[in-house]
This record gives sequence, structure tokens and C-alpha cells, in this order.
Amino acid sequence: MDKAIIVKNLTKSYVTYLRKGLFKREKKIVHALKGISFDVKKGEVFGLLGPNGAGKTTTVKILSTLLLPDGGEARVLGYDVVKEAAKVRKVIGVSLSVEKGFFWKLTGRENLIYFGMLYGLNGEYLKNRVEELLELVGLKQLEVGDKLYEEYSLGMKARLSLARALLIDPQLVILDEPTLGLDPPSARMLREMLVKIAHKEGKTVLITTHNMFEAEIVCDRVAIINEGEIIALDTVEGLKQRVADNMSLEIFAFLPAEVPQETLLLKLRETTGHPSSIFAENGGYRVKVVVPPGNVDEITAKALRVLHEHKCSVRRVEIREPTLEDVFIKLTGKTGF
Amino acid sequence: MSLKTLIKSGFMLEIYFYKNNRAAFLAMFLWPYLMLALILGMGYFFGSPGAFKQNVQMDVDPVIYYVASTLVAMSALDVMWGVGGNIMWYRWSGTLPYILLSPNRTSTTLIFSYIPRYLLGAFIQLAEFMPLIIIIEGFSSGLMKIGVLVLAITVGMIPLLGFSALFASFLITIEEETNVLSWLNPLILLFSGAFYPAYLLPYWARFISQILPTTYTVELARVAAIIGAPKLAPITFFIGILLGIALVYNFLAYLFMGYGEKKAMERGAI
Repeated sequence: MDKAIIVKNLTKSYVTYLRKGLFKREKKIVHALKGISFDVKKGEVFGLLGPNGAGKTTTVKILSTLLLPDGGEARVLGYDVVKEAAKVRKVIGVSLSVEKGFFWKLTGRENLIYFGMLYGLNGEYLKNRVEELLELVGLKQLEVGDKLYEEYSLGMKARLSLARALLIDPQLVILDEPTLGLDPPSARMLREMLVKIAHKEGKTVLITTHNMFEAEIVCDRVAIINEGEIIALDTVEGLKQRVADNMSLEIFAFLPAEVPQETLLLKLRETTGHPSSIFAENGGYRVKVVVPPGNVDEITAKALRVLHEHKCSVRRVEIREPTLEDVFIKLTGKTGF
Repeated sequence: MSLKTLIKSGFMLEIYFYKNNRAAFLAMFLWPYLMLALILGMGYFFGSPGAFKQNVQMDVDPVIYYVASTLVAMSALDVMWGVGGNIMWYRWSGTLPYILLSPNRTSTTLIFSYIPRYLLGAFIQLAEFMPLIIIIEGFSSGLMKIGVLVLAITVGMIPLLGFSALFASFLITIEEETNVLSWLNPLILLFSGAFYPAYLLPYWARFISQILPTTYTVELARVAAIIGAPKLAPITFFIGILLGIALVYNFLAYLFMGYGEKKAMERGAI
């Protein structure tokens, strides 16, 4: 069996109550998952990408056996998450939050030892495993293994959370927003670690994120989830192909005062054969030309020639490839998360 | 996973906690004597030891009586907070999901990882009171009373674990983060006769008293407080009742904890 996770028509609703004064409250049903289906192959990094409230955490909690679905089926490494929850717990490592979930008055090392014992590890194996993990996540190098958890920075907490998820050497690692709130260097290090865990140690990794950049660089495949539904599922490249016509050429230049923008736009349109736009930016102008992926070089040359003829001073040229953000905007009609 | 590892995990958690919190460690030592001083101080302020004996209608030494009651009451409170209240604490600290991810049943994890904490706390407190008991009672009688108290806090713990796990299952189920235990604990101690003899309570309160495991641990403590060597018959009687109640409460806890956990997992409360 090459599937680590199989999810079929999973549904989940929550009952919430809106306070209406001191004694009254109004019942409201939130449909968090509306029958999602997807599967995750063994050894891949799979991303659930979506805005807040899309249903990512609900999915993760169901797969972690911490939440019961209303309907549908979910299997983790062959085990049903409802009927065989105990077996599922023995093969997964979970991190649900990077900023809490540990005992504040214990050190990082002590926390790992405690949770290791709770998960059935013991003796020399546990001791060695904790040291190995402290090194893997970089806490040993930072010499903070014996520092109290309450004194940890958010980046250190995130590393410790990842270390705990790896304690039992799980086949599947489930991480909910693993880089949320982290500074860029910590986030980058964590992303590199995730890729390493998946590709070098052969583990399957399921992450949720609302960070499209993260999904692009970490995930082998991505499911875009919005309002409880999966609206797209593919490799990052496959998803980007869906908006390949969104590739754009962007030229940052200073335009002479005597050249009207309308004239320049008209000339660019005639020469390149594609619509253009101009935006004021940092005292100069950004000229944007939408181009099909096939003939970027030719169009770039033509656009630069037009700008040169109109005595524009070109400072920077960028070919902007479509991103997951473009995919999300196209699929949902929303302008971002 | 063996229960031995689970118990060891609880033991390590306590050791780590006190190692990193010296103030809490010191407080653990001071607290029993502060509590005793307060109760005795109030007692002597309002009446004499003779009046006390007359009121409780037993030939007891007030100091030993309150030492025994303090020890039993504090141990009972500790179990209630340790098992029942820990659900709240785990939820607030965000550790609850990771505790539940342990491959044991939640009730098993909660109870067995807590036992070392209870034993450490209860026996340290008992050790603290030992010199006082021996000074008042003499060596041999004092040792016998200490033996009864050891029985009270160890056998008394068994039904309380199940009883507290029942509250844990309730706390895990309810939606609001209401700390039920903060108002329930004093009531339980009151109905158990820890502050006031249970037989002096109204009839309806005595009925509640009969079904509470703490009542019988308090009775055992009272047996220890009677002047002279403790008698075997009441001791075996109360231990028998405690073991019987232990079966009932632990079985109920086993059933209801699963139910509470399921309800919480349906609602997304974890």
C-alpha cells in the first residue's frame, strides 16, 4: 500500500453559540468540512493550504484521532481513525501548535523525556532519542536543552514541538501551521528540516499552512482548501500550470516627463501584442506586460526596445512566474488570505 | 505500553517540577503545618480540648485528630485536583491533546501518571507529622497510629482515583471552562466529616456522606486519633468498605471517561 492517508467524503460540523445578552444565546452550525476527499502518498510532503477557518485544523485533528468526524472515512497508514484510533496514535507524530503544549516549568529536555515516557519510550533508547532529536532540531547547538520552556523563544518552541512530534519515530508526521508566527530565519530552518525529514528519513509529512510561499517550497503536492471544500489538488507545478497565462514581465524604469503614459502603453501593446499597464512606484514606474509562457524572451526584447526608443531609463527586469497565490485567487475569486 | 512506564513518567514529572520550582518545594513542606496551626489556633481560640472532646463525643486528642484530618483532607484534595483538575490544567496549558495522544486510555493515563505525585506528596506530609505524633502518643502507640494513617492515605486513594476520574470525565465533556472542583471540593470534605463529624450532619447530608469515599478515609483517620492503641475491627471494616467503593468508582470512571472523551472529541473540545 503506497498511501499514507486516505480521506473520503469527510464531513464535520460544529455547534457554536452566539451570545445574545446575558441569558440568551443563538445556536449556529458551522460546516467545517463539507465532504473532502484526498490521499497522501507515503514519503511525500503534502500541504493543506487555505485561509483561516478553511477547515485545515479540523482535518488535521480528525487525522490525529483528536476529533471525531460526522461522516465519511479517514484512514492513516491503513488504520481507521475512528475505529482504530489507538493504532493510529502509535504511528503518528503530531504538532498542533508551536507556542504551547509543553510544561512551562520543565526544560526542553525534561519535556521531551516526559512525553517520551508517556508515549511508551524508556531507558537508554529514550535518552538517546531525546539527545538525537535535540540535535536534529538544533536546540543542542543553541545550548538550550536545559533551559526552562518558559524562557524559550517562539522559534525554539517550534523546534521543540517538531522534536516531540518525532519522538516515537513515526511514519507519519502531522504539523498544523508549523511556522506560524516565526521569524524568517527560524521559519526557513524549520522548512528545511521538514524537507529533510521527508526526503532523507522517508517519513510522510502532512502540513497545514496559509503561507503560499511555504507550500511552494516545501510540499510535493498541495490541496487548496476553502470553506470546508478542497478546490484544487495537484503538485505545485501542476497547480501553477492552471494559471500559466498569468506569467508577467515587469520592468522598473524611469519615464521622461515628455512621454505620456498612454502613448507608451499603446506602443507596447502594438509591439508586443499583449496588454500592458503602468504603476507609479518608488519615484519611477513599473511597467507590467502579461505574457504567455512560450515566448517570454521575444516579448521582453520587444518591450525593452520600445522603452529604449522612448528614452526610458530601465533599472530592473523581472519575469514573474505564477504562484500559488495566483492559483488561489483564480480558484476562489478572493484576493488573498 | 506498560503501566510501570506511565507511573515512572508521573514520577519524573514531579521530580522535574520540584527541581525547577524551589518555592513550590518549600511550600509543600510548610503547608501542612500552616494548615494545622490555623485549625488548632482557631480551635484553642474558641474552646478547650475538653470542650472539643465533649463536642465530638469521642476520647480523642485534638492535636492528633487534626493532624489526621489535615493529612486525610489534604490528600483527598490532592487526588481531586490531581486527577479531576488536571484535565483543566492540561487544557489551559495546551498539553491535553498530547496527553490524549498517548496510546493508553485517558483515564489510565490520568490515574497512573498521577499516582507518584500523590504518594510523594502524601508521604512527605505524613513524614513531617511523624515526630509530632510520636512526641504526643509515645513511640509504639505513635507508630501504630502512623500505620493506620498510611493505610488511610493509600487505601483511601484507590476509590478517590476513580471518583476523581469521574469528575475529570465531566470536566472534559462540559463546554465552559468552569472549575467545578473549586466549589465541589469543600462540599465533599464537609459531607465526609473532615471538618465536622458526619453523624452530626442532617439526614440528607448523611446519605451523601455514605456514598463518598472520603467519608471512610476520614473515619480511618478518626480511628487513628482515638486515644490509646487503634483497634483492628474498625480498621478492617473501613478498609473493606473503601476497597468495595473503589471497585464501583473505578469501574464507573472507566466507563464514563471513555464517554466524556468521545463527547469532547465530537464537539472539538480538545
